[in-house]
Amino acid sequence: MEQTVLVPEIGDIENVEVIEILVGAGDAIKPEQSLITLESDKATMEVPSPFAGTVDRVLVKIGDRVNEGSEILRMKVSETAESSPRPPADPGAPEPGRPAIEAVEDHQSWLGPPDEVHMVAEPSAPPPVLELPSQHRQTAHASPSIRRFARELGVDLTRVRGSGRKSRILHDDVKHFVKAAFQKPRGDLLDLDRWSAQPEVDFSRFGDVESRDLSRIKKLSAAHLHRCWLGIPHVTQHGDADITELEEFRKSLKPELELQGIRLTLLPFLMKGVVAALQRFPDFNASLGPGGEALILKRYYHIGVAVDTREGLVVPVVRNVDRKGLAELARELSELSAKARDKKLKPDEMQGGSFSISSLGGIGGNAFTPIINQPEVAILGVSRSGIRPVFRDPDFVPRLILPLSLSYDHRVIDGAAAARFIVFLAEILGDLRRLLI
Amino acid sequence: MENKQSDLHAEVLVLGGGPGGYTAAFRAADLGKQVTLIERYPVLGGVCLNVGCIPSKALLHLARVIHESEEVSEFGVEFGPPKLDTGKIVQWKEQVTGTLTKGLSGLARQRKVKVVTGLGKFVSERILEVVGSEGTQRVSFDHAIIAAGSRATKIVSFPNDDPRVMDSTDALNLDEIPKRLLVIGGGIIGLELATVYHALGSRITIVELMEQIIPGCDQDLVRPLYQRIRKQYEHIYLSTRVTEIKALKNGLKVAFQGQGVPESETFDRVLVAVGRRPNGHLIGADAAGIKVDEAGFIPVDDRQRSNVNHIYAIGDIVGNPMLAHKATHEGKVAAEVIAGLPSAFQALTIPSVAYTDPEVAWMGISEQEAKEKGLEFEKASFPWAASGRSLSIGRNEGLTKILCDKTTGRLLGAGMVGTNAGELIAEAVLALEMGADAQDIGLTIHPHPTLSETLGFAAEMIEGSITDLIVKKRMN
Repeated sequence: MEQTVLVPEIGDIENVEVIEILVGAGDAIKPEQSLITLESDKATMEVPSPFAGTVDRVLVKIGDRVNEGSEILRMKVSETAESSPRPPADPGAPEPGRPAIEAVEDHQSWLGPPDEVHMVAEPSAPPPVLELPSQHRQTAHASPSIRRFARELGVDLTRVRGSGRKSRILHDDVKHFVKAAFQKPRGDLLDLDRWSAQPEVDFSRFGDVESRDLSRIKKLSAAHLHRCWLGIPHVTQHGDADITELEEFRKSLKPELELQGIRLTLLPFLMKGVVAALQRFPDFNASLGPGGEALILKRYYHIGVAVDTREGLVVPVVRNVDRKGLAELARELSELSAKARDKKLKPDEMQGGSFSISSLGGIGGNAFTPIINQPEVAILGVSRSGIRPVFRDPDFVPRLILPLSLSYDHRVIDGAAAARFIVFLAEILGDLRRLLI
Repeated sequence: MENKQSDLHAEVLVLGGGPGGYTAAFRAADLGKQVTLIERYPVLGGVCLNVGCIPSKALLHLARVIHESEEVSEFGVEFGPPKLDTGKIVQWKEQVTGTLTKGLSGLARQRKVKVVTGLGKFVSERILEVVGSEGTQRVSFDHAIIAAGSRATKIVSFPNDDPRVMDSTDALNLDEIPKRLLVIGGGIIGLELATVYHALGSRITIVELMEQIIPGCDQDLVRPLYQRIRKQYEHIYLSTRVTEIKALKNGLKVAFQGQGVPESETFDRVLVAVGRRPNGHLIGADAAGIKVDEAGFIPVDDRQRSNVNHIYAIGDIVGNPMLAHKATHEGKVAAEVIAGLPSAFQALTIPSVAYTDPEVAWMGISEQEAKEKGLEFEKASFPWAASGRSLSIGRNEGLTKILCDKTTGRLLGAGMVGTNAGELIAEAVLALEMGADAQDIGLTIHPHPTLSETLGFAAEMIEGSITDLIVKKRMN
């Protein structure tokens, strides 16, 4: 049976670029084997095969932009128990846009848990009818010459706002769209250009060198971090939290949770503490509105957690932390970081954060100045905890101290608020019972 | 591999000299490519010019004149029965096609397109072998455009060698005007030739497998045609299959299977017009590694590129609808892509026309399709009985229908039946491509009195601003 593999659900992003094609015609494919790599402005993701079989024809090229439901390739699927016998399908011509028989079947989808996979079964009866890509059909309000012009410039007309009558897209609209893209004050490309506009140095004059390409994630996060760094007036407030009791509590919980296969680290405690602090200081759980005229306060608590992978830094987001317990957070964290390391995070799993935590506690160091993850307005850096002598009248006592570094957007938060935030957070972490207040 | 690989080299090789092929060849030449065009017949133009669209239209013109001269007798002008000289008719028809094909040869010469006559087959992904009357030659190429078209579908069990069993090409030769002609296939080709033979004096029976003539076209558009020809022709058997044709001395005995149809009838001639098959399996595609599907179509992308990067395909051989105007458009795309231009097939619709009497034409999405897809649309249907122009040419059965998107008002599809519908549909195609809505069409001043007004009227019906009819609709 021949099947067309489509781009699965990828969240609400569109026009994702195909940057890698990992299979070719004739290749035998196992289910879950990666077929292509997509790259959005957030991350890269690999699309695994929902079926076992042989690739018949790859329908995308490197550089193509695809959306959910775009055709990736055609493959001959090895018969499986659940696939009902069908007459030999007509290995027909590609039929862009033709709504062939669209069946929704349960198959392993691209992220493990069964999900909906749309398969276009090849109709056997009518000969292929040339039809037109559905996204062209009636979406962009533009005449044939404008569509051609847009194609020449590589402009996606669905993103162009038409200035003509009834929003018709005119020649000038396409030109302005391109011009605006080039003149974007802080567009990725320009910034990177400016950023790398340092005098070229021939380092080999000084000794052996090797040039290594940055990973894709590195390149992407470089642009993002650079934008954040340039765009936000950062201040970092440092502080300490006494987590002696917290650590005892954690250790006491550990064996119990391990029985459920959950590894309880410090991070879930930090997330709960941070949420309590965000609830007390809502300005930290906010974004600056357009033009810096308003503060958009969020009523949800989605915490981004920076995860170090071999390819670079990614920040999966744990949703609704306020409504979850330590065990659930711990489980979710380990799932997300596993996905992050396997490059299987979906874009929407990296979107929507309202505050981020970057923990280097597993490695060491005393303090650092994390960069705020725009459009958030603050980020908590966590360094390695250690036993320190703390003066408790009349003696010094050994206490487990956790160094905290809170970077904040000074346009939104002033220094006093930041100090109060970090003190409050330290109090919570020092005595978790305070979470109940 | 071989020392002497080829006798000739082409930057762009075009296989097939039909409308798609010569358009591709000429466009490529105009874009600076050195082009060789392979055509199996000694004249260019393919099926369309030689044995298809053009000669059939010449004959249909005569049919129209014959019918109109008959019909005006009611209005007080009597001509008397026509005298037909089929020899002269064929001569005139050939003069028409001859003028056009000669014109094409001239255009090819002026563009320095080398035309090689013979049957071309790929022998590798870089070489095509051409077997012609003067022997075999090999043409190597950088790029190839396959425009090898389609052929009439033959039904193997029929006595196809009997000259009384005709395909459309045979029928255009007018070897004989049979007393009783059976047309197998109620599609566009069958109905057009039925019109011709009926005008020339044959009694016609049509048999169609589906439940309506011109399957795929909206029923309301087909109905006026059906009602007219039902009176003119002996029989129209729908949902009926021809199971056998026996060649007898006194005629062809045809057996039918269907409800309420006779078991068999005898005809003087039979025209088999049950569709066309793509020639994908006849061009040595395997040797070049070109993928061809079971039906014989070559799958291509929106740049007309086959699975082999430097080989393109256009026209009938890449898919339905098999129409010359689709092929020419695709031919230009292929030539432009090869020349490095960022072209692609981006047209929103390919119009269809049946040059019957009345003509039927449609474009965009059909009403049936819109319903199947669950689209939210508004429909307006303007009856030509309310068109002064239509009545003044003695006809009242026409219809102009448009479908518009319910939210945006933009034109989704249009269909027409009536005199010259084929000419009128072009305006609707332009409107669709330009993204016009009903208001745009309604606000465009159409000349009066014309049949073209009916499109404007239909649009006004959607807008509720029509004054030529009473429409129960919101009024603005």
